[in-house]
Amino acid sequence: MDKLARPLDADRRNYRTLAIVTAFILLIPVWARAIPGDVLHMDIVNIMVLAGIYACVVVGLNLLVGYAGQISLGHAAFFGIGAYTTAILCTRVHGFPTWLGVLAGAALSGAIGWLVGKPVLRLKGHYLAMATLGLGEIAFILFQQLKGLTGGTVGIMDIPPLSIFGLKFDTDLKLYFLVWVIVMALMLLSINLIRTRVGRGLRALHSSEVAADAMGVNTSSYKVQVFVLSAAFAGLGGALFAHFQKYINPESFVIAISIMFITMVVVGGMGNIWGGLIGVLLLTFLPQVIQALPQWIPGLPSGLQSFSNYELVLYGLLLILFMMFLPKGVADGLGRAADFGEIRARHLRDRRNAKRLEGR
Amino acid sequence: MGDRKQVRLLWGAAALVAVVVGFTLIYKGSTGLQWILSGLTVGSIYALVAMGFSVIYSSTRVINFAQGEFTMLGGMLMFTLCTRGGLPLWLGFLLTVGIVTLLGAGFERAAIHPLKDQSVITVIIVTIGLAIFIRAVAKWIWGTDPVKVASFTGDKPLHFFGASIVPQSLWVFGLTLLAVVLVFAFFNRTLLGKGMRAAADNPDAASLVGVSASTSSLVAWAIAAAVGAAAGAVIAPINFAAYDAGAMLGLKGFSAAVLGGLGSAPGAVVGGLVLGVLEMITAGFAPSGYKDAVAFLILILVLLIRPQGLLGKPADVKV
Amino acid sequence: MAHKILRWKLPIALFCVLVAISLVGMGCGTQKVDTSKSVYKIGAVLSLSGPAAPLGQPEQNSLKMLESQMNAGSGVSGHKVQFIIEDDQSDPAKATVAITKLIKQEGVAAMIGSSSTGATLAMAPVAESSLTTQVCCAAGTAITKPVNKYIFRTPPTDSMAIDKVLGYLTGNLKVTKIAILHDANAYGTGGATELAARAPAKGITVTANESYGTSDTEMTPQLTKIQQTPAQALVVWGTNPGPATIAKNMQQLAMKIPFIGSNGIANKTFITLAGPAANGVVFPGGNMLIPSSIPAGTPWRNAVDKFTADYKAKYGKDADTFAAHGWDAGLILTDAMKTAGTNKAQIQTAVQATKGLVGIDGTYTYSATNHDGLNSGDLIMIKIENGAWTQIK
Repeated sequence: MDKLARPLDADRRNYRTLAIVTAFILLIPVWARAIPGDVLHMDIVNIMVLAGIYACVVVGLNLLVGYAGQISLGHAAFFGIGAYTTAILCTRVHGFPTWLGVLAGAALSGAIGWLVGKPVLRLKGHYLAMATLGLGEIAFILFQQLKGLTGGTVGIMDIPPLSIFGLKFDTDLKLYFLVWVIVMALMLLSINLIRTRVGRGLRALHSSEVAADAMGVNTSSYKVQVFVLSAAFAGLGGALFAHFQKYINPESFVIAISIMFITMVVVGGMGNIWGGLIGVLLLTFLPQVIQALPQWIPGLPSGLQSFSNYELVLYGLLLILFMMFLPKGVADGLGRAADFGEIRARHLRDRRNAKRLEGR
Repeated sequence: MGDRKQVRLLWGAAALVAVVVGFTLIYKGSTGLQWILSGLTVGSIYALVAMGFSVIYSSTRVINFAQGEFTMLGGMLMFTLCTRGGLPLWLGFLLTVGIVTLLGAGFERAAIHPLKDQSVITVIIVTIGLAIFIRAVAKWIWGTDPVKVASFTGDKPLHFFGASIVPQSLWVFGLTLLAVVLVFAFFNRTLLGKGMRAAADNPDAASLVGVSASTSSLVAWAIAAAVGAAAGAVIAPINFAAYDAGAMLGLKGFSAAVLGGLGSAPGAVVGGLVLGVLEMITAGFAPSGYKDAVAFLILILVLLIRPQGLLGKPADVKV
Repeated sequence: MAHKILRWKLPIALFCVLVAISLVGMGCGTQKVDTSKSVYKIGAVLSLSGPAAPLGQPEQNSLKMLESQMNAGSGVSGHKVQFIIEDDQSDPAKATVAITKLIKQEGVAAMIGSSSTGATLAMAPVAESSLTTQVCCAAGTAITKPVNKYIFRTPPTDSMAIDKVLGYLTGNLKVTKIAILHDANAYGTGGATELAARAPAKGITVTANESYGTSDTEMTPQLTKIQQTPAQALVVWGTNPGPATIAKNMQQLAMKIPFIGSNGIANKTFITLAGPAANGVVFPGGNMLIPSSIPAGTPWRNAVDKFTADYKAKYGKDADTFAAHGWDAGLILTDAMKTAGTNKAQIQTAVQATKGLVGIDGTYTYSATNHDGLNSGDLIMIKIENGAWTQIK
């Protein structure tokens, strides 16, 4: 990777946002602890660990979809490969270090990403979407059928909690900090990646692959690189998931999970480095908030209380409406709202100044 | 790829299929014939779903991830109208097809048409959202249990040479044949149909003959919804419709469409039948757990080696 | 310059809002609740949507019915009981989040859940680490093998169902060769594997062991393979609609060998789907499906009669075995809490010491080595004749 160019305004904004977000992340457990459980009706730290795990996948997927303009409807496969790798190693090999299992999971995911990415990324658009969908399904069938290796449909139980150099991550709080430090590191990596020549090449690729090719950008190489990176990130997330839940089975890696990841990227905002994170937080917390609503507002009619029946309906509607009205995602919406706020503020200030001048 | 190479490829594929089928028949006799007949039944179902994909693709270059759900709705509506509501089968069938067609056209106007200038990914996500939405509403209305629809002409099996099929299978074959003839005729013999195909490649030229991209899209979605619903209605007595039946059907139907060639109605039939037969033969010879993998393997192989499938035309890349 | 300040204002404003919420929350939280008449909270994580919804919905219905019946009466030792029910959407990850929330935030004293094996296994580590007793409604063998101190179950296990099936094969049918056709999912594979492993000891050879996909619509290839073997009976292990399709396919192929199903078809849906092909099918099921199989006047029979009548009156549907699993789970925990209150360690001891508690599925007796509660005596073999269930003696 070549030297990072001098930071532009956009990059400086990204670094500053990273700092702010990190500060928030560190403070959330403090705030969550302060509210008693039977008022909040949600375990924030626990949900945030899961959100952080999903964020590992989505950050990489956002680079692939938002920046490189590709699509993958099978990323749950890489999530699963990471999970199964560390689960198999840590439960079959006595005393296998869990941190090594996590690294192995990420590495194997990346390697398989390279193996399948090279041929599959020659396809474009719908064809690529369907090929990745098919690969995801094949991975699921393998997780189920290779009983000797994966435990088949029953899965793998008693996965040990993560421990790094003697420090055991066996509580939600400890995992929370570990997972989110990893997510922030992945974000930093992504921000830096965007700033390099690779990043600029990706953006050229996104707007027009043919033009980028003509300009000498090695499009196929870049596409595969980003795919491999996103696969490795997903494998990392999957491995963390295995040590968090301590039990995995193929049900956790079905196609619905792949679609959940893509939805997070799309709703959060493709092409915006923060889109993935926004999408993850929104889609992980929204169902929890809706489940907690009947407990926050006791007066809700009982029909609404079995919300699970409506959740999928809303989910589908959300996807449709977002694509129709906010195709660039929430991040873009927030950005535009912030810009709007700025413009209004400036406008008001100018009017005030003009009035002052007139009044004199 | 030149015409000669294409013809040679087609003959090669046909020969391969013939060899597999022949081997099965010789080695397994009437058992093998049973597998093939069952494969043709299942394959016809895939063919009908695949036709829906093809119709929308050939007119608008969009892949409709909710195609399987149209088929599911066909089955569920038949249950409500005929089994629950007591309507005669022919009336239930017409109403079912009518309702789903309106739904398909309505969705096209509401969500697909406004997005005509957006990227491919956006449209893919919208149709995925539609699939999720339809499935959730179906669960809300009908619950999770599979439902029973009476067979059109009874259940007494028909026998040929030691193998058997149920009479409903003949209805499925019949509908498949009717559908492919009608769709092919529409797209190749009528002005509207030919104009719709043209609109996908060159919208301006097409509008000169009076077929706008907008009309094209609407009619395509209506036809796809109709074919899907008809398929679901006719399959329901065999398949036990349920709210989640659309997912697997959509995937397999898409594999069949890709195999046969997206955009070609005869291709959809060929792809569907071949896929169905191959699946059943695999289940016959190999551990049946891997049967589903056949569809996805075929999908990936075709996409990698020859994305336009057996009878399709190569896709253009817009620069 | 101005817009830089604006960019900072948003995060600062957000931070102040969060601090304000915390202060309000802390204010509310300092109100101490009177514990002497406090409500006993039991958490429940069930599959109310997703593939296992047909299991979770009746379980939820039963728990709600139990709650209203208990609270209308004297409650649990004078305390009202509240079942806080969450949906895991048949997803193990969501089950974990739900149980964590119920234990840590809602402070429930005990847990029920889940409806399916995968979600139950995912919840177990959380229950264990917080010393919370979890009574599940799932039948997977892995849940109680090896025995987990805090995890109990109510449904009859697949092993018990297999006991009955093997007994029927050797005792009633007296066959020595069988074929197995199972769903490729966890339930089907687990049952088939165990059946195949235990059959030889009973003098039965398994001539074919085939599987089908949960959403498959034609099982004729597998059936023709089975026809080629000398199998004298076919055991089908799966849930609807697979077995119904198999019954129809068998009729189509004119296969005459007996069809023995699993407890997965112990519901009216199988008969509706399979139609005339269902006649002659035999399967193991709970006594509550044929109340007359329980001697009249016994506490069990009275409980079953009252339960089925109340359930039908309240929900307009027949109670099935899943409703029974849910009811019994609630019953076992509330029974334990009569003596243990909300003390988690005492609840575990009390549940484990349960002996002869009459539920709807059967009579429950737990011990340090047995967390299954029921035994194969709590199941009967049922035959479908003219679209109705009859008990096979």
